[in-house]
Amino acid sequence: MKHSKYWIGAGVLSLSVLSACGSGGGDSSSGGDGGGGEEENYEPDSSLEIVAPAGAGGGWDTVARSAAEGLEEEGIVDQGIGVVNREGGGGANGWSYIHNQEGNPEYSFVASPPLLLVPLNGQSEYSYEDFTPLSNMIADYGAFAVTEDSEWDDLNDLFDDMKENPDDITVVGESSPGSMDHMQFAKIAAGAGVDPSSIKYVSAQDGSALTNLLNGQADVYSTGITETVEQVRAGDVKVLGITAEERLEGDTVSEFPTATEQGIEETFVNWRGFLGPPNMSDAEIAYYEETFKELSESDYWQETRQSYAWEENYMDSEEFEEFLAEEEESMQDLLDEVGIDRGGE
Amino acid sequence: MGTFDGILSGLSVAFSVQGMLFVLIGVFAGTFIGMMPGLGPISAIAIMIPLTYNMEPTVALVLMAGVYYGAVFGGSTSSILLNAPGISGTVATAFDGYPMAQNGQAGKALAIAAISSFAGGTVSVVLLMLFAPLLASVAIVFGPPEYFALMLLGLTAIASLSDGSTIKALISAVLGLMFVTIGMDSQTGTTRFTFNNSNLLEGIDFLVIALGLFAIAEICNLIVNRKKTIKNQGNIGSLKLSKQDFKEMSGPMSRQSFLGFILGVLPGAGATIASFIGYITEKKIAKRPEEFGKGAVKGIAAPETANNAATSGAFVPLLSLGIPGSGTTAVLLGALLVLNVPPGPLLIEEQPDLFWGVIISMYIGNVFLLILNLPLIPYIAKVLLIPRPMLISLVIMFSMIGVYSISFSTFDLYLLLAFGVIGYLMKLYNFPAAPLILAFILGGMMEESFRQAMTIANDDLTVFFTRPIALSMLIVALLSFLVPIIRQKKTTSV
Repeated sequence: MKHSKYWIGAGVLSLSVLSACGSGGGDSSSGGDGGGGEEENYEPDSSLEIVAPAGAGGGWDTVARSAAEGLEEEGIVDQGIGVVNREGGGGANGWSYIHNQEGNPEYSFVASPPLLLVPLNGQSEYSYEDFTPLSNMIADYGAFAVTEDSEWDDLNDLFDDMKENPDDITVVGESSPGSMDHMQFAKIAAGAGVDPSSIKYVSAQDGSALTNLLNGQADVYSTGITETVEQVRAGDVKVLGITAEERLEGDTVSEFPTATEQGIEETFVNWRGFLGPPNMSDAEIAYYEETFKELSESDYWQETRQSYAWEENYMDSEEFEEFLAEEEESMQDLLDEVGIDRGGE
Repeated sequence: MGTFDGILSGLSVAFSVQGMLFVLIGVFAGTFIGMMPGLGPISAIAIMIPLTYNMEPTVALVLMAGVYYGAVFGGSTSSILLNAPGISGTVATAFDGYPMAQNGQAGKALAIAAISSFAGGTVSVVLLMLFAPLLASVAIVFGPPEYFALMLLGLTAIASLSDGSTIKALISAVLGLMFVTIGMDSQTGTTRFTFNNSNLLEGIDFLVIALGLFAIAEICNLIVNRKKTIKNQGNIGSLKLSKQDFKEMSGPMSRQSFLGFILGVLPGAGATIASFIGYITEKKIAKRPEEFGKGAVKGIAAPETANNAATSGAFVPLLSLGIPGSGTTAVLLGALLVLNVPPGPLLIEEQPDLFWGVIISMYIGNVFLLILNLPLIPYIAKVLLIPRPMLISLVIMFSMIGVYSISFSTFDLYLLLAFGVIGYLMKLYNFPAAPLILAFILGGMMEESFRQAMTIANDDLTVFFTRPIALSMLIVALLSFLVPIIRQKKTTSV
């Protein structure tokens, strides 16, 4: 919680290390006859900066760091890339930092559903519309886990009980109410006919979400798929359902049933993409689209996706923007149903 | 004999040239980072993640663990010499460490801290080695009702943290409870007392308050009293500890090694809470509690043993369950993922060389720390010989750098100064700062666990009385609150 703020310092230091490496490295690239052609082609003249609006080791940070490494290792970007952690306010600090970089196209940041949820909850003054969507890269999904000895064997067992006795079932997650872990559960539960406002959700941080599932204080743990894999392998928990459309590929994850195959026509995508400062030019957007597309198709990225059980989900700037608009609307509706509406402050 | 093979391969990793070298680098870097006010192990470990990409996972974890316990080891130095806590786990060390240094016994204070840290670090590694898989079940025993009871038990010690007026101690504690409510509420996501200022969304960082109330307030004090000469200015004193000192230290060292370790095992508790609870319990059971706060040997030995023991304890849930119980272990977990060693319940079984390699390296690391630190004490303590105007500027500078590196926000620097002024005023009017700090540390978790427990139990208060661990802690809390009052009544009526 409070401790986590320290991670930022690290990011800035590693930025200076990384950018030093970058500028020392391959500057003698082909397209380097400076100036000219600004209208048609954009090519950054200094190192790129990717901001993870959270601490080191978290989801955004992982995407930012592996993307930066992939772009350098595959030789897609020659200018050098720094990853900076700007934590605070559930992302709000990082967003306001990028928002102030208008006219500096070297800056971009990693985003996922909280970019929509945090502003909808009235916790940030910036929404996705204040930024330039560049590309979406991957899709990740949520998982709902219960202890191995739980009476529920699939999502329908759980949701049937929930419809009758919502007060008896505690759902635990890391994020605050109205954010990721809560909303992904609410969305699937609503799809199964559970009243989303009846869900008893408890937010627990510092590792105590999983602890509270294991010691029986909570009944269901709403989290990401990766977080459950080791626990399932050890036989401590079972995953009742995941929020993906189709089953994932991989050793343990392929055993996780989807909600849709259990007759619940609802999914939740934990998308991860990149956005830049407001009002970027078409040339600048095109540069990023090309860069990220190349990364998405690289061997490096394929391996990275496999090791984190991420799915390929590339979208260019336009598709990404449309997708964000739809997602925002559906999240707003869901928040209304859950009964959290702090928007419009 | 999987365990035996594991220990053997762990030994071979830990005692390899590479292993030893990285332990040394880790603990040395950790000590240094710990000494800098505000800079902590989390940022240091996060810096190292990219450097460890191509390292052997065991070596990488040995290095990062070394930074972690090295920082907790070194963090006491600036608490003792400058009243500026190096990391949050060593705030309690300043309570008696700084007064002892002021009495011209800086060398002795640093020696006590180093030896207690070594004891806490070493005993807890033995416990970690023997009981880690067993303790995994202990780590998850605590649910919200137990955490609430534990935090309440800690809070009952507030009165004992003041020498003078109990009322003033309580007022100070209430201030701490009020400050901790600032920020986004964890259970509803509602913002409280942030005045629409996004800098306050995540609340006030503990170190901003601690550095403000201790370091900056002391600076104000020194500036206001600059004409007064301090007789022991620059006097470091002898490093030598007498037999009597060792006798006094032995109690806290043996008790707090265990208590600190257990508190470290509990996710969310950690080194900071362990150091405070260690300090409080030793004061409660001491024959002469009135010596605490004025440079008591036990007052340094207790928190220093407890925080180092808690650091090893934090590895229990991380390595045996894959649960990170603190900010630092969360970064370590992230680092392990990057190294393709996903921590989980199967880690000890599937990667025994990693588990044992790290544990054995911790023995070596603690010995290194003692050897590194003891001979350095006379040189480090020379900090006190720096002319006062310069020393004051340096402390202000380091406190500001430390605070700025937490969030990169200039807003926090203003907060630091504001808490410096609050701290100075409190000092002027004899309000103790320790209860505020304690309430701030415990209050957040106390409120959060209370409300989690209430939600889970559908607002049924009996949940606190039907669970044996929670109930017994509540009873102890009640006793520790009532007994001093009854005693006082007796003495006044006689």
